[in-house]
Amino acid sequence: MNHRGGLALIIATWSSWLQYRGFFFLLAFGWMIPPLIYLLVWSTAAGERAVAGLGRDDLITYYLVLILVNQLTYAQANWTVGDLIHDGRMNVLLLRPIPPLYDAIASEVAGKVVYLAFDLPVVALLAVLLRPEVRIVPQAVLPFALALVLAWALRFFWGYWLALLAFWTTRSSALLAAQDALVFLLAGLVAPMALLPAWLRGAATLLPFRYMVGFPVEVLTGQVTGAAVAQGFALQAGWLLVALALSAAAWRAGLRHYTAVGG
Amino acid sequence: MIRHMRLIGCFVQASLQEEAAYPANYWVGLAHSLLNLVTGVLGIAVLFGQVETVRGWDFAATLALLGVYLTAGALRGLFIGPSLDALAGMDGEVWSGRLDFTLLRPVDIQFLASFRRWRALALFDVLLGAGILVVAVTQMQAALGPDRLAAFLVALAAGTVILYALLLAGAALVFWSPGTLFTWIFDGLFQLARYPLGLYPGWLRLVLTWIVPVGVITTIPAEALAGTLSPGALAGSAGLAAVLFVAASALFRQAVRRYEGASS
Repeated sequence: MNHRGGLALIIATWSSWLQYRGFFFLLAFGWMIPPLIYLLVWSTAAGERAVAGLGRDDLITYYLVLILVNQLTYAQANWTVGDLIHDGRMNVLLLRPIPPLYDAIASEVAGKVVYLAFDLPVVALLAVLLRPEVRIVPQAVLPFALALVLAWALRFFWGYWLALLAFWTTRSSALLAAQDALVFLLAGLVAPMALLPAWLRGAATLLPFRYMVGFPVEVLTGQVTGAAVAQGFALQAGWLLVALALSAAAWRAGLRHYTAVGG
Repeated sequence: MIRHMRLIGCFVQASLQEEAAYPANYWVGLAHSLLNLVTGVLGIAVLFGQVETVRGWDFAATLALLGVYLTAGALRGLFIGPSLDALAGMDGEVWSGRLDFTLLRPVDIQFLASFRRWRALALFDVLLGAGILVVAVTQMQAALGPDRLAAFLVALAAGTVILYALLLAGAALVFWSPGTLFTWIFDGLFQLARYPLGLYPGWLRLVLTWIVPVGVITTIPAEALAGTLSPGALAGSAGLAAVLFVAASALFRQAVRRYEGASS
């Protein structure tokens, strides 16, 4: 593996992305809206009295953290992987002496920096406007960081194997859209886990989507504690292994199947 | 007028023939519409599973609002969106300079820009939106009288005109700054119209009523259906629709006059 080349690619992609920051700020704005809507709706609903033990301040803190976590874990590179395969542009990447995975990771790193340059000031402004009383214990920060890294890896590789199905079908972007809908419902965007109806919460606990966004936020805000944290980490790591295995398998089988079109 | 109707018929036919070449798109489109519906309904169901009412909005009224949101979005997807996108979207005619050929056609440019592309699949979205509206009405306490239905239809028409005027103004602004994605900003703000204006904090309510009046598009018709709308608000929304329509048309004409061609 050519890691120095990979690093150079990451830096090059990052510099080139910064030239288009207006465009990427617009994308970040669009992605921020759904969690923002539910932040406002739930904080209004809990304005008079707490909902299922969560008060207005808890909900605002939860969603402000979630806006950042959702952006940090959003694997937008996966949308381009399918296009690369359809257009035959994957040829160029395959000829490089670097695994094409680096290309996806390079745009991931570049994206995170550019999107955060938009998200951080907006979240800070919202915090000033809404003035939530934040209750975060310092001991939760380290587990949060670990859960966040795992969440990014899980969301990235889960999307990556779905995107690699583009080797066989021209409709892999529909799968990514379906994945986004599931994340919206089950990963804590539409409501924190504690507020979901029991049947939906049961599904959310077992399926991988909660561990892509909601779980780190719950760890940081103290909505999940004790044995449930350990269980969450176990499920998160387990799903990550599944996603890694599926990505590797899809890549190997897909490459054998690949024939470029056009040129 | 008859000539314009006949032209719309031609546009619809041409669009349908173009779309029929991509049958697989239908299934993806249908799945996409259903996902949009399910996430919307579940979002409301989760909220009202926890609370009875929020600021005077109960489950039925909020569901009606979702129905209006889906219907307005479907009408946009049926022709307003695709037509204006062909003009001012990414790689649109303003950008590429192909507007030269469109301008030479012997039809009013605003008419042509607003009606020329249709997406048949959006009819399914219209049906879904209408279905949600029917379900919402059956969930409401009071029966729906003819006066409330009439008020609702007026409010819905006004909302659609407001939506059209805002999108037309966005398309016109592209002439001044090509490549700016005004519709993307609008899309983000329009999503806020999924929930009643009353659920948002005061400053945001002001923005969504007076600066970018997307809140008016959905909240007023839903209130009309629920019977909580004052006659003044209904008249106000109709007036706003008329004013925005005239202003956006004037802006669009001004914009077209600025156009100088972009190709070599």
